[in-house]
Amino acid sequence: METIRTLFSPKAVAWVLVLIAAIAVPPLVGGYVTSMLVLIAIWTIMCFSMNLIFGYTGQLSLGHAAFLGIGAYAFSLITVKLHVGFWPAFFIAIAFTGIIAFLVGIPALKLRGPYFILVTLGFAVIVGVIVLGWIDLTGGANGLFGIPRPNPIPLPGGATLRFDSLLSMYYFILFFVVLIGVFCHRLVHSMIGRRFIAISYNENLTESLGINTMSQKLLSFTISAILAGIAGVLYATYNAVISPELTHFARGMDVVAYLIVGGAGTMAGPIVGTMVLMAVPEVLQVLPYLKTLINGIILMLFILFLPNGIIGWFNANLGRLLKTRRAVHGPA
Amino acid sequence: MALLEVTGLTKFFGGLAAVSELDFDIQPGELLSMIGPNGAGRTTLFNLLTGFYKPTSGTITFNGVNIIGCKPYQVTRHGMGRTFQLTSIFKQSTVLENVMIGKSLHASVGVWGSVLRTPATRREEQRTRERAREILSFVGLGDKENRIAGGLTEEAQKRLSISMALATEPKLLLLDEPTGGVNLEEISGLIELVGKIRKSGTSICLIEHKMRMVMSISDRIVVLNYGKKIAEGTPKEVANNAEVIRAYLGARYAA
Amino acid sequence: MLLEGWRDFAGQSEGIATTELGQYLLNGISQGCVYILLASGLTLVLGILNVPNFAQGHLYMVAAYLGFYMVMSYGMSYWLALVLTTFAMGVLGQVIYGLVFYRMRSAPEVNLFVAAMALLMVLEGIALYFFGASTKWFLIPFTRRVITFAGLAIPLQRLIIIVGTLVVMVLLELFIKKTTVGAALEATAQHREGAMLCGIKVTQISAVAFIIGTGLAGIAGMLIGPAVLLEPTMGMGPLLVAFSAIIFGGLGSISGSVLGAFILGLVESLASGYVSAKYSLIFVFGIMILMLLFRPKGLFGREVWRP
Repeated sequence: METIRTLFSPKAVAWVLVLIAAIAVPPLVGGYVTSMLVLIAIWTIMCFSMNLIFGYTGQLSLGHAAFLGIGAYAFSLITVKLHVGFWPAFFIAIAFTGIIAFLVGIPALKLRGPYFILVTLGFAVIVGVIVLGWIDLTGGANGLFGIPRPNPIPLPGGATLRFDSLLSMYYFILFFVVLIGVFCHRLVHSMIGRRFIAISYNENLTESLGINTMSQKLLSFTISAILAGIAGVLYATYNAVISPELTHFARGMDVVAYLIVGGAGTMAGPIVGTMVLMAVPEVLQVLPYLKTLINGIILMLFILFLPNGIIGWFNANLGRLLKTRRAVHGPA
Repeated sequence: MALLEVTGLTKFFGGLAAVSELDFDIQPGELLSMIGPNGAGRTTLFNLLTGFYKPTSGTITFNGVNIIGCKPYQVTRHGMGRTFQLTSIFKQSTVLENVMIGKSLHASVGVWGSVLRTPATRREEQRTRERAREILSFVGLGDKENRIAGGLTEEAQKRLSISMALATEPKLLLLDEPTGGVNLEEISGLIELVGKIRKSGTSICLIEHKMRMVMSISDRIVVLNYGKKIAEGTPKEVANNAEVIRAYLGARYAA
Repeated sequence: MLLEGWRDFAGQSEGIATTELGQYLLNGISQGCVYILLASGLTLVLGILNVPNFAQGHLYMVAAYLGFYMVMSYGMSYWLALVLTTFAMGVLGQVIYGLVFYRMRSAPEVNLFVAAMALLMVLEGIALYFFGASTKWFLIPFTRRVITFAGLAIPLQRLIIIVGTLVVMVLLELFIKKTTVGAALEATAQHREGAMLCGIKVTQISAVAFIIGTGLAGIAGMLIGPAVLLEPTMGMGPLLVAFSAIIFGGLGSISGSVLGAFILGLVESLASGYVSAKYSLIFVFGIMILMLLFRPKGLFGREVWRP
């Protein structure tokens, strides 16, 4: 039961303010900034996904870029080639992503530490190979185009909600960011979330306490893959065009960078990290091919000196003022 | 019927037999101590019993069920709980959260229930929390439930790890050196706790070095040396056993 | 894409070979040697620093580019470039160890993995910046020449790879078995605390291990570079196969990794020839996944990895 104190705590107030800003700002700024915000929103969802499996369950999966790609391609193929409607395609695509994740997770999660990371990386590479090579299905390097927007929704009162404009897509995607954010928050603060966190701290101990760590890890992996799939579908419908670049493993590494910089194992971390690492280069007009280098250097600096990320540092130093969630990584 | 029955248990690591042809049993309600010099194979035995290692040969029957091949979490669900020699707790969580994880295996919660905060899920969580509090007060940590586990004293951390194992509602509790690293004054407190656990009906298998403690609380003792059982019996019988004396103190004292 | 980079361009030999299978087997052997070279650097760093150096593939790539510029732009002799590149990579290894892994020696394991990943990103960024994204062809006199025997053809560079791998393996073995540093390496890999108790400076040994690892990447880059197309992502595929070889052969077993590297090299070559070059990596991975499902220990592995 939320007490009045929790509802009006500084943290809750901060979240509400952020939400209000997210809603109010785009109509005021130009299309360029809004399109940037759309991409940031999509990658924030991706970051929430990584946060669940890595930040909270302790398994560094470098293959989640593949799940974004699978979601995007499945959705695009179903809508473009099979002419299925938007919402059925949406659910089929993310269900498909979930099933693949489940099947991949079973052998992969048997491994611990570096070997798990490698297998997921290998999975990402293979998905990239298939997407690039199976030209008949995926269009190869040319990708797919003509991906539809969500169907117009009739509103009570006669008007219809159309999704043709940039702004409408922004709010559509923002809706999902909020939905997924709340979902993750609730999940992480539940008994299941506690199990995930226990696994991230000490898997052997957790198992000796009677918890089927394999099934919990699989659950976390599958859910996070589904979230990545949602990000993929949203990207596809927003961009109308997708290409194999989307499944490149380096995208997965970028997301890990966003997460670590923001603060893994925190709720605000994904948002802050994605925003900082995506917006700052844009603002500074950095050339695109320098992005990997810059992300790598920033990540290296953070992992060396600030492994808990921005929010982690914030929590550790201002923790007394706010109701905090401890960071997962860094010295105990 | 014995609660735990072990016959011919053997574990080879490469060419080294860490445990060799071990036979023993534990009766319901008893406190059996495992003693022996360092390296005698006691922690390896615990790892074998709890499924962390697979035996090379032999049988392990718990409550009438063959548990060889069970994963550690399955062994725990059968009713065997355990603590570790190196105090294993979640240092970054609160004391209450630690025990709640221990209790968590009994909570039936689902993803949708958790996310939607259904009444059933909230009831489960509340029940888990209450039961965790009960265990904490049983163990004597009731007033520390919101402290961060890593900040507790060594003795309190040992109590916490015991309470986490208790939360799994074991029929048999394996305690691996529960007084390791604890001050002399605090040991009696832990001994009292062990006695309390036993009185509440849980059987205990204890690995310990402190002879006085072992002699005073054990019903029976099994002595291991180089992975083999060299003696078994009541504390009095074992204390006078020549083999045991030879193993601990050397042949000169055996006569 | 990233796989075309290391495809064998001995397509020119197709007309000459009379035994298809024999040809693929021969290619497989040279491909296996590629993976052995990479896997040995990985195993060393993994065993001593407990870090899976994801950046090893990119180190190999940087070395290949370095050698490329030395030979193609400065007209240096191939063999001199080989020595210099290896040396340069060793120095780079010292720098990386000092700046990154030494600082993180007491950090949680995950952080080290992330650091290795960050290193990969930095190297890829540097490669993109300095060398550009277009592919380059490391042409030296050896590259063109093809040796034929018994109806099989093999580019001379591939033969150099095989011979070079053998030489490197023998040298490594001698180093580990016959020198004090080598003994210290073995000791640290087997039991870190025990080695410390014996007075071995584990941080120094770790530095040595890392430097040897980057040095091996350097040798690999120079030996293999002239046989393949150079591009910034050329290291990723071989890295994954090298790691697969380690998993396949069994964790904690050097001979396992070598055998694994050979088997996977052969699998890749056969799949490439009989099925399709594009999808050959999938076969390699498929074998590793099968191994993981049915025998997680690998061929010769001991206990499954538990921290």
